[in-house]
Amino acid sequence: MVDSSTETNEQTAPSQEAPERVLAATGVRRSFKVGDRRLEILHGVDLELYRAERLCLMGSSGAGKTTLLNILGLLDRPTEGEVEVENVRVWQLGQAQRSRLRNAKIGFVFQFYHLLAELSALENALLPAMIAHSAATFRSKRAGYTNKALEMLTRFGLAERLTHRPGQLSGGEQQRVAIARALLLDPPILIADEPTGNLDRATGEKVLDLLFEEQETRGLSLLLVTHDERLAKRCERIVHMEDGLIQADSRTPIPH
Amino acid sequence: MYRFFLSLRYLRARKTNWIGMAGIFVGVTALILILSIMSGFLNESRKHLRGNLSDVLVQPMLDYPIKGKGAPRRDVDALLEIVRSDPRVAASAPQMVWYGMISAENKEFYASDQERGGLAVANLVGIDVEAEFAATDLRESMLREPAPGTTTQRPADVDDPFAPPPGYQPRGFPAESIIVGERLGAAWGLQRGAEVEIVTATIDPESGRTRDPINQTFVVAGTFRSSHNSMDLERIYFDRRVLADWLGREDDAFSQVLVKLHDYEGDKRAITEDLGVKLHQAGFLHSPESPLFDEVKTWEAFRRTLLAAIENEKSLMGIMLSLVMIVAGFCVFAILSMMVSEKRRDIGILCALGGTPKGIMSLFLLIAFWEALIGASLGVVAGVWGALRIDSIERWLSAKLNFQIFDRKVYLFDHIPSVIQVTGVAWIVAGALVCTLAFAMIPAWRAAKLDPVEALRFE
Repeated sequence: MVDSSTETNEQTAPSQEAPERVLAATGVRRSFKVGDRRLEILHGVDLELYRAERLCLMGSSGAGKTTLLNILGLLDRPTEGEVEVENVRVWQLGQAQRSRLRNAKIGFVFQFYHLLAELSALENALLPAMIAHSAATFRSKRAGYTNKALEMLTRFGLAERLTHRPGQLSGGEQQRVAIARALLLDPPILIADEPTGNLDRATGEKVLDLLFEEQETRGLSLLLVTHDERLAKRCERIVHMEDGLIQADSRTPIPH
Repeated sequence: MYRFFLSLRYLRARKTNWIGMAGIFVGVTALILILSIMSGFLNESRKHLRGNLSDVLVQPMLDYPIKGKGAPRRDVDALLEIVRSDPRVAASAPQMVWYGMISAENKEFYASDQERGGLAVANLVGIDVEAEFAATDLRESMLREPAPGTTTQRPADVDDPFAPPPGYQPRGFPAESIIVGERLGAAWGLQRGAEVEIVTATIDPESGRTRDPINQTFVVAGTFRSSHNSMDLERIYFDRRVLADWLGREDDAFSQVLVKLHDYEGDKRAITEDLGVKLHQAGFLHSPESPLFDEVKTWEAFRRTLLAAIENEKSLMGIMLSLVMIVAGFCVFAILSMMVSEKRRDIGILCALGGTPKGIMSLFLLIAFWEALIGASLGVVAGVWGALRIDSIERWLSAKLNFQIFDRKVYLFDHIPSVIQVTGVAWIVAGALVCTLAFAMIPAWRAAKLDPVEALRFE
């Protein structure tokens, strides 16, 4: 499938209307200091994610996928290059503004779910709202957020699990709580790092169904990292990375 | 919002936090208890140190001429009139002070060499009863119940203490009455009505030489109990005129004047200066500017060295005890450091969800703050309760352990003194909070510095 096309993003973008770019990396390089040598992981990556797009990032381990994902998720600063979220250059912002942007615009789903062990499923889902607001504002908006979280968790089949701690939930359940958490503030971007990597096939399928369904109904831009070819087939755009560079960027209609 | 919520949740969920809280609790409780008991002891010591000293003391240097005025006046009534004319003065009393030795019959046992010789040093104080009662606690000291186990008796009529004791059978001429310190009386077996011989030597004012010793027999009219150890052990009160007559002085001879003020703390500075100037102008005292003559002073100045020692002891105690707080601070530091390491992943998650480093730092500081607040609050309750009940607690503990923890005889106290100082307690609480937060800064700062990417990789 790599040979199918190696065109640039501009050429593969939908032509009927102007594509809306929500997340973009331009000329991103990232190097780390190892001993007294510098080790470059990303050698100048350009990647753009468009509104309502389902992008699958693939590549062997060590290709730099996770590093790129951290940079696109504003968790890591590129050594060189620019990252833009809805056309805002994020590294020109202050720390607090960048954190606010991450809170409002980007939802994360991790391979290991990353729920807080001390909080119940519902509280975990509410966490982004708690981070977004001061105590006073959160109190006034609490009911609204709680309803929203309850609605999602119920839809995800967790109605009986609201007060359970992560330790009392199965992997699939935990990942569904994590998805609810990622979607609570209606971010335009969702970054998922091997969301099914830690689940058995059947559970993984269910979680993916749910993730894709939400992506479609909400018109989310989904950036998905995976090793799983079958998962990749369900994405309209597949980007292959190798040795810190993008090797292929292909767009195919999704077979429903 | 998440900081409050999460800090409280972490606090509740992690039982190790309770150890930090317990550390602060114990520290604050111990500090308050010790501070209260120490303050109580120091207050008692201060009282004892003061003894029957009045607020302000006027001690003219009678032997030195006043520049330009000749010999100092010795007219005590005129001096008293000047002192009493000041509205800040509540009362004043002249005293004549001398030293002598007491030699009593019927001594049953000898505690020391001096006693074997049949002599003990006595501080002879001549007083005007009415004035003395007004200016000092002497009346209360005479009325106070004798210490348990002693056979001494207070004067038959406290308001006329120098009247001959009832049933007094003089062996020769009827002797003049004296009032003896309780411990002196007890040591020498001086019952009311017992005769005592007192020996002293006087100085010839003309030649400055010591005259031959003189002795005279007096009758014990009763004892007083000031609870001031050295006074109860050494002091003998005379009628001032009787003492002056025996020592061959004029009737109005005096050594010092005790002055009692209405508002000691408020007026002590001004009045010592004003009295010094007024009495200098009237020809009683030397110039107050002259550094040699310090003739008007507060009782605190009189006992300056010992009081300074007490204050010093108090501040030393404070410094040493604040180490307890530092230990509690270390406790919190260790627990919080552990928690930051344990919660690395959570810190990464919070970052990914939009938490700022500042927010994460305050999250961990808040945990320390709750620990300090709860620990210190419980500590205040326990410390104050303990300080209020220390006497019964000690009695209960001593009974349980079958061992006397606090020997009341050693300190001449009938209870463990304890004073709760509100400012002291406030300082302790503030210290606990500051100390805990200062120690918590380091792990909280480390948490804020964590790289979210690294933290999330942590499994």
